[in-house]
Amino acid sequence: MPPRASKRKSVPPNSSTVTSSDGRSVSNKAKTKGMEKIDRLFNTYANSSLGMIDPEGIEALCADLGVDYTDVRILMLAWKLKSEKQGYFTREEWQTGLKALGVDSLSKLKKALPELEKEVEKPSNYEDFYTYAFRYCLTEEKQKSVDIESICELLNLVLGVQFRPQVDSLVEYLKIQNDYKVINADQWINFLRFCKEISFPDLRNYDANQAWPLILDNFVEWMREKQS
Amino acid sequence: MSNQKKRNFQIEAFKHRVVVDPKYAERTWKIIEHAIHEIYNHNASGLSFEELYRNAYNMVLHKFGDKLYSGLVTTMSAHLKEISKSIQVAQGALFLEELNRKWNDHNKALQMIRDILMYMDRTYIPNTRKTPVHELGLNLWRDYIIHSGKIQSRLLSTLLELVHKERTGEVIDRGLMRNIIKMLMDLGSSVYQEDFEKPFLEVSAEFYKVESQKFIECCDCGDYLKKAEIRLNEEIERVAHYLDVKSEAKITNVVEKEMIANHMTRLVQMENSGLVNMLLNDKYEDLGKMYNLFKRVPNGLSMIRDVMTSHLRETGRQLVTDVESSKDPVEFVQRLLDERDKYDKIICQAFSNSKTFQNALNSSFEYFINLNSRSPEFISLFVDDKLRKGLKGVTEEDVEIILDKVMMLFRYLREKDVFEKYYKQHLAKRLLLGKTVCDDAERSLIVKLKTECGYQFTSKLEGMFTDMKTSEDTMQGFYANHPELADGPTLVVQVLTTGSWPTQPTITCNLPTEMATLCEKFRSHYLGTHTGRRLSWQTNMGTADIKATFGKGQKHELNVSTYQMCVLMLFNNSDMLSYKEIEQATEIPTSDLKRCLQSMACVKGKNVLRKEPMSKDIGTDDAFFVNDKFTSKFYKVKIGTVVAQKESEPEKLETRQRVEEDRKPQIEAAVVRIMKSRRVLDHNNVIAEVTKQLQSRFLANPTEIKKRIESLIEREFLERDSADRKVYRYLA
Repeated sequence: MPPRASKRKSVPPNSSTVTSSDGRSVSNKAKTKGMEKIDRLFNTYANSSLGMIDPEGIEALCADLGVDYTDVRILMLAWKLKSEKQGYFTREEWQTGLKALGVDSLSKLKKALPELEKEVEKPSNYEDFYTYAFRYCLTEEKQKSVDIESICELLNLVLGVQFRPQVDSLVEYLKIQNDYKVINADQWINFLRFCKEISFPDLRNYDANQAWPLILDNFVEWMREKQS
Repeated sequence: MSNQKKRNFQIEAFKHRVVVDPKYAERTWKIIEHAIHEIYNHNASGLSFEELYRNAYNMVLHKFGDKLYSGLVTTMSAHLKEISKSIQVAQGALFLEELNRKWNDHNKALQMIRDILMYMDRTYIPNTRKTPVHELGLNLWRDYIIHSGKIQSRLLSTLLELVHKERTGEVIDRGLMRNIIKMLMDLGSSVYQEDFEKPFLEVSAEFYKVESQKFIECCDCGDYLKKAEIRLNEEIERVAHYLDVKSEAKITNVVEKEMIANHMTRLVQMENSGLVNMLLNDKYEDLGKMYNLFKRVPNGLSMIRDVMTSHLRETGRQLVTDVESSKDPVEFVQRLLDERDKYDKIICQAFSNSKTFQNALNSSFEYFINLNSRSPEFISLFVDDKLRKGLKGVTEEDVEIILDKVMMLFRYLREKDVFEKYYKQHLAKRLLLGKTVCDDAERSLIVKLKTECGYQFTSKLEGMFTDMKTSEDTMQGFYANHPELADGPTLVVQVLTTGSWPTQPTITCNLPTEMATLCEKFRSHYLGTHTGRRLSWQTNMGTADIKATFGKGQKHELNVSTYQMCVLMLFNNSDMLSYKEIEQATEIPTSDLKRCLQSMACVKGKNVLRKEPMSKDIGTDDAFFVNDKFTSKFYKVKIGTVVAQKESEPEKLETRQRVEEDRKPQIEAAVVRIMKSRRVLDHNNVIAEVTKQLQSRFLANPTEIKKRIESLIEREFLERDSADRKVYRYLA
C-alpha cells in the first residue's frame, strides 16, 4: 500500500490565479476546463487508494477553507454534495456538488459558503437539510436511531442559531431523561416541527392529545413542572 | 199503461190567506206568558201541553216567532231576577241550598218550556240563528244569577270555604257541592273554569304552600312524605266526588308543586331522616313513598338517583380503600357483594326495579371497584376460597347464585386481564394440589366466563382441566406398562402444557435416588408415546406423602411439598445435617430452602425436625436433626401446603409487570388491525378505536398506545402522513 501522501500541506493556491468566472457565463470549452479544475481540486484532497476524499481529506479541506471541522457549514456542504457516507466525498458527489455551487476553485468555494448558508435557510430547503443531517449520522448499515449524545450535538449544530432557547432546554432534558437512549427519524423531524410551531417558552399551544411523539409530551411536562 | 200522458201530482200550498187577527199574536203570547209564569210558580199541573204547544206552533207559523222569542227572553229574565233576589237573601248555609233548589226548579221549568216551544226551537231558531231555548235558559241563569254582582263572589267564597273546611278535617255536604259544581259545569266549561276552578287552584296553592312550610319545619322526612301522600290522595278523592274530572290533573299538579317540588332538596338532604339515612337503614316503605311522590315532579327521580349515586360512590370508595378490609380479600369481596345485594333489594322493593336506577347502581360499582387496583386479585381469591372449602353443604342452586353474583362484580372490572392472570394462578394451585371441592362449580364458572368474555379468555383455563384429565390417563397407562413398579413408591405425574398454565421458572432440585429413577422411567415412557415434546420437572410445585417413624416408635404419614420430601429423605442416611450440607445435597434455591426448613423445624405441631440453635429464623450455620420427640394427635400430618395467598408487594409488582408486558402486543395487534382496514386514520381516532377494541379486556392507556404507535412507525408498519403529521398511513 503506497504511503498516504500528506495532505496536511495547504495546496498552493494556483486555482486562485485562474481567471474567476462565475459559473453562468462560460463557454463549452471553459466548462470542460472547469470540470478539470474541479477534478484536480478533488485529487488534492482525495485518498488515492480509496478514490474518494476521506475524513483526513475533509479535515484538510476545512483547514484550507478556514472553517472548523465541526462547523455546520461543512454539513451544509455535505448536503449540497448529497454525500451519502459521513466523512467521505466521492468523486461524483464532489463533481455534481461543486458544479451545482458554480465553483471550481478553493477560493470560489470559500466565497460560496455564505450563499450556501442562505440557500439552506430557505424554507423550501431547510426541512430537507434538517432531515439530511439526521440521516448523515446513521453510519452503520440498518442503523435507524442515533444516540442521545450525538443528537444533542447535532441539535446544537443545526438548530442552535435559529432556535437557541428551545435547543438549550431540549438538550438539557434529553441528557437527564431515562426513557430513551436513542432518537429515531420520526422523533427527529418532530423536534423541528416543535420548534417551528410551538410558542416558547410558554408552550401555550402545545396539546398532548395531538400526535406529538411521546418524548416531546414528556419534555413539555418536564418544562411545565420546572416553570411552576 | 203506455202512451199515457203523465200527469204530475202537485200539492199546492194554501191559496187562501188565513185571516190574521192583529190581536191574535198578542193574545196567543199572553197565553204562553201565563203558562211560563205558572210553570215558575210550580203550578204547571193545570196546564194543557197540547194547547200550549199548538199556540206556540201557530205563532211561529204565522211569522210571529220574533215576538214569541223576545217574549220568552223578557219573561224568563224577569223570573230569574226574582229568583236572584230570593237567593241573595238566603242566610249562611242556606245560600247554597237555596241556589241549588232554585237551579233544579229552573231546569225543570226550562224543560217544560222547551217542550212547549219545541217547534220554535226547530224551525225559527235555526233560521234566525238565535240561541236555542235550553241554551238560552242556561245563559240567562248564568247572567242573572251566577254573574250577578251579589251572588258571584259570595258563591265562590262559599265554595272555597267549604273546600277549606274539608281540608281541615270537617265534614261537608258533598252531595250539595256536587250539584253546585255540576251546575257550573253545565253552564259551560269557561264558567266552571273562571268562576270556580281557577280561583280554587290559586287558593289551594296558597293553602299547600303554607301547610308544606309548616310540615317541613316540624316533621322528619318520612312523616312529611306520609302527609304529602295523604293530601294528594285526598285531592284525588275530592275530584272524584264533586269536581270535574279534568280538574284532577290540575289540582294534583298544584299539590305536587307546593308540597314536593318546592321542598325536594330539603327533604332529600334532611339530616337523620333524609334519603341517605333511608338508604343506610333500608327503610323500604319511606323510600317507596319518596319514589312514588318524586316521580310526579320534574327532576324528582333524577334527584333521588343523583343523591343515591354519590352516596353509593362514596361508601364504595371508602370500602375499597379501607386498609383494614384490604387485609382479608375474602371479607373485602363479601362486603362488596353485600352492598350490592342491599341496593338491589332497595331498587327492587322501593324503586319499582327501575332500569335507570339499576344503571346508576352499576355505574357506581364500576367506578369504585376500579379504584382499588387489587380488586381483580381479590375477586379471584374470593372465588378460590369458595371453590376450596366455602361451598360445602351449599345446594347447587345456591352455588350458581353465588357464582352469578361474582360474575356481576367481574363485569365491573376494567382490568379483566389482570383477573385472568390471577385466576389462572389460583386455579393452577387448586388443581395441582387437589384442592377443588366442587368440580361442577369450577366448570360452571368457566362457562360463565366464556359467555361473558369469549372463547379466547377461557381456552387456556379449559386446557388446564384437560391436562389434568389427560395426566390421569397417562398415569394409568404408565403403570399398566410397568407392572413391576407396583410395589415401589407411587408416582403421580401431572403433565402441563406450557402455554395453558401460568409461567413458572423451571428450577429443579436433586430428588432422592428412588424418586429420580422413577421419574426417569416415566419420562422415557412419556416421550416414547409423544415424540418431539420436551418435559421439564417442576419440583417447586409437587407434593409427597411419606411415612415416618419417630424416636418412640410413633408412626405418622406426612404430607409435604417435594422440596420438603427431598430434605427429609436425606435424614434416612444421616442423623445430623448442617444447612450447607442440605443445600448442597438438594440444590434447592436458598429462599425456598429456608422457607421449607422453617416450616418443618419452627412451627409448633409440625416440627418434625429439630434445629440447633432453637432460633426462629434459619441461619446458614444451623444444624438439623430429626425431632424424635415429635408428637401429633393425628396420624396424617399436613406440613406446609401452600395456600393461595394475597401476594406480597414484590410479587404483586411482578404480576403487574407481566400484565403490562402482555398488553403491549395486544395493543399493537389492535393498532395494526385498525390501520390495515382503514389505511389512513388520524391520531385521535386511532386512540379511540383501539380503546374500544380492547375494552373487554382492559382499559388501554392513551400514552401506552402512543408508544406502541411510535414503535410501529420505527419498524415501518406505519408512517406519518407527509402533509399532516397527525395522520397515520398503513404501510403494506
